Amino acid sequence: MRLSKKHELPGVLIVVEGVDGSGKSTQLSLLKDWLVSTVEDVIFTEWNSSRIISDTTKKGKKKNLLTPRTFSLLHAVDFADRLEQIIVPALKAGFIVLADRYVYTAFARDVARGVDPDWVRNMYGFAIHPDLAFYFHVPVEVSLARICSNRAPKFYEAGMDLNLSKDPYESYKIFQSRVINEYDNMADEYGLVKLDGKDTIHNQQLIMRDIVKKVLTEKCIRV
Amino acid sequence: MKRELRNQSEKGYPGLLISIEGTDGAGRTTQIERLRSWLAIEGYGVVISEWKTSSLIANAIDLAKERNLLHAYTFSLLYASDFADRLEHVILPALKAGLIVLTDRYTYTAYARDVVRGVSPEWIRRLYDFAPEPDLVFYLNMPVEILLKRIIASSGLDYYESGRDIGLSTDFYESFKIYQRKIISEYSKMEKEYNFETIDGTLSIEAVQTKMRKAIKEFMDSGVIR
Repeated sequence: MRLSKKHELPGVLIVVEGVDGSGKSTQLSLLKDWLVSTVEDVIFTEWNSSRIISDTTKKGKKKNLLTPRTFSLLHAVDFADRLEQIIVPALKAGFIVLADRYVYTAFARDVARGVDPDWVRNMYGFAIHPDLAFYFHVPVEVSLARICSNRAPKFYEAGMDLNLSKDPYESYKIFQSRVINEYDNMADEYGLVKLDGKDTIHNQQLIMRDIVKKVLTEKCIRV
Repeated sequence: MKRELRNQSEKGYPGLLISIEGTDGAGRTTQIERLRSWLAIEGYGVVISEWKTSSLIANAIDLAKERNLLHAYTFSLLYASDFADRLEHVILPALKAGLIVLTDRYTYTAYARDVVRGVSPEWIRRLYDFAPEPDLVFYLNMPVEILLKRIIASSGLDYYESGRDIGLSTDFYESFKIYQRKIISEYSKMEKEYNFETIDGTLSIEAVQTKMRKAIKEFMDSGVIR
């Protein structure tokens, strides 16, 4: 399906991946500021943000009603909707599309919840193959320290639905370690560009911009 | 003596799963109601689960349909979410408790509709591969001309039932015919693949019901029941 081959659309799709607290959103936002200042035609889209399903997901989360399978499917609905309403039209119109999280988030999280890896990969087979996917790697302790410096981990981000531990901090560590493990295994499978999320923000951004520049040049976009 | 519907080990649950398939207007709902009262009189616990009725997701589907915003894969995944939610909260618990579950439509509805809307047949089958296979699938087969008359006489032609969202024709009547023909053709491809018990939907309600009861009885007598 589409996900396994290069797309032929004029636009460029750049995605960032990593666990919460890996710094990916900060990096994407810096990248966006730089691109907007030179290229203009840039749009941004975020995981789990389509209007079509957000109320349902919220309701299900509040009631802790979601099994891993339903959880996984609802995120796929959100993704399919954004893909067809935002990402594909923008790529057709030659935009640079920046996505905060992409299918790899599902491949990591849903599998960490016990969903079959092949099943979830098949489900997202209709996705567009990104031109560039960055993976920000941090150890689970860094993620926990950054996310939970002033609050307790939330129910689903801590994987509390899986009954791994009664302590949310402990549960977070077990669950997010599984997610990190899935990401690490995917880096080769999908050619994710792995960056060290513990490096300084400035250094990471410089590396990112270098790589982005090369990809854009191949597409004849000058930055 | 404790009477269980089946040997647990075979499917992992003691209940029975019976699905009724067929296009809109084929008479599924009427038949299911009658099966329910018959089985209740026979002393079996029955649960009915209808397509698109999960408390969590059904509303989202209706809202999205109202706005006519659905692309083929979004449409398909929304229905799969509804199904997964019902499966895990209604169907499986009932099967595990040893009840007979009658489903008004099942995964085959998605295989027919979604493929007509352009998703790949392999993709959709893989998507639903977590669904337990029913013990019996009744398919109410109706020619499109009779369906049309039934639906015009009752609810009128609906936007999605007529496949207007896929732009087959701007004429409702024509669009309905083309769309339902495609659906019926997908169903008929599945008859062998999934071992449907096909019943002529043009028969009287009683005649269809008699055939269903006979098939269910035969199935139960075939040694499934301990």
